[in-house]
Amino acid sequence: MADYSCLVVEDSPMMRQLLVFALARIKRISVTEAEDGVDALRKLAGARFDLVVTDINMPIMDGLKLVKRIRSDETHKDVPIIIITTEGSTEDRQRAMALGANAYITKPIQAPQVIQKVKELLKLE
Amino acid sequence: MSDGDSDERDDRSSERPADLSRERESFVRQFLRKGVELTESLIEDNKSLRSDLAEAQREIARLRAQVASDDAIRDLLRKIEGLEVERNKLLERSSELEDATRRTEHRNFEVEQELHDLANLYIASSHLHSTLSARGVTRHLKELLQQLVGAEAFAIYLLDSAGSIARPIAQDGFGSEALASVRPGEGAIGEVLMTGVPRVHDRVDVGGTLDNPIAVIPLMVRDRAVGAIAILSLFRQKEVWAAVDRELFNLLGSHAATALIAANLYAEAEGPLAALRGIDDHLTQTS
Repeated sequence: MADYSCLVVEDSPMMRQLLVFALARIKRISVTEAEDGVDALRKLAGARFDLVVTDINMPIMDGLKLVKRIRSDETHKDVPIIIITTEGSTEDRQRAMALGANAYITKPIQAPQVIQKVKELLKLE
Repeated sequence: MSDGDSDERDDRSSERPADLSRERESFVRQFLRKGVELTESLIEDNKSLRSDLAEAQREIARLRAQVASDDAIRDLLRKIEGLEVERNKLLERSSELEDATRRTEHRNFEVEQELHDLANLYIASSHLHSTLSARGVTRHLKELLQQLVGAEAFAIYLLDSAGSIARPIAQDGFGSEALASVRPGEGAIGEVLMTGVPRVHDRVDVGGTLDNPIAVIPLMVRDRAVGAIAILSLFRQKEVWAAVDRELFNLLGSHAATALIAANLYAEAEGPLAALRGIDDHLTQTS
């Protein structure tokens, strides 16, 4: 049984699959997938997550709105959030961090970098 | 002898015993006094000697203590020396272990990176072939270029049935700008269409125009280019090509065209079973 549960929010099936593969390299983590911000909120309402990994540019509800909603949710307001996005400007990064994201990783991702950041935020060895 | 002489002699002899007695007494007193003095002197000497002896014993004890202390110090110094040798060995061992740990961590990182690269290729391939819709294949192709390669501006060209002109079938990062068709042999894209040889600049900040894209990848069917992907720019955060990019280009070059062809042929069939009609003949044919 996994010790930590992670919610991956990404509208691209290809990226979702890549992220799930990367996170599967970390023992003790189980992964749930969501296709967009609304789907993510539905899943967050039904379970407790220890980590959220989300894209920004998604249909219906983008990642930044999702971060805001998570930070105002009593159950998940302190959950670590990693943004993974193609938006690479300093302004985008600052905006995301100001909304409450804990880490900002740009695409194309490197799995070792994602794994290291996840371990850091969950305080895993 | 006269009486006078005998009286004199009697007087002298009665005086002599008194003198002798006094002398004797005096002698005895003197002797005794000397004896006492000698005894006192001996006692004093004895006292002094005892004192010297005690002092000497104390000195011996002190020296013994010092020697013991020196021995203790020597022992301690020997122990310290031994501990320092041990400490140096432990430091050396610790340093070796740190090096080994660093090498292991580095190797783990390399392994994770290799796994990630393989995952990229597997995912790219599986998604390209996961659909028999031409739109679906094109969408996957675009997604692959954006998400896995980090391409910001790119165009995908396919040659017409005559092979005389390549038209853009998909693009991104050009805004509303309409792309022109390309003839084989004309410009960088045309050159790749003709030769079937990819053109990839070592640096990603070179070129960046349709005349000189940073990468042009031919879409191959066997040894024939049927199209090309031209990448004009990457996302700003991607400053160099990743090792997996060349492998992705090889994969795209060999899989994208066949996926498009499969989707195109399937679109003309009336369902999957119809699409398989006549396959027996193809399987028995010797090519």
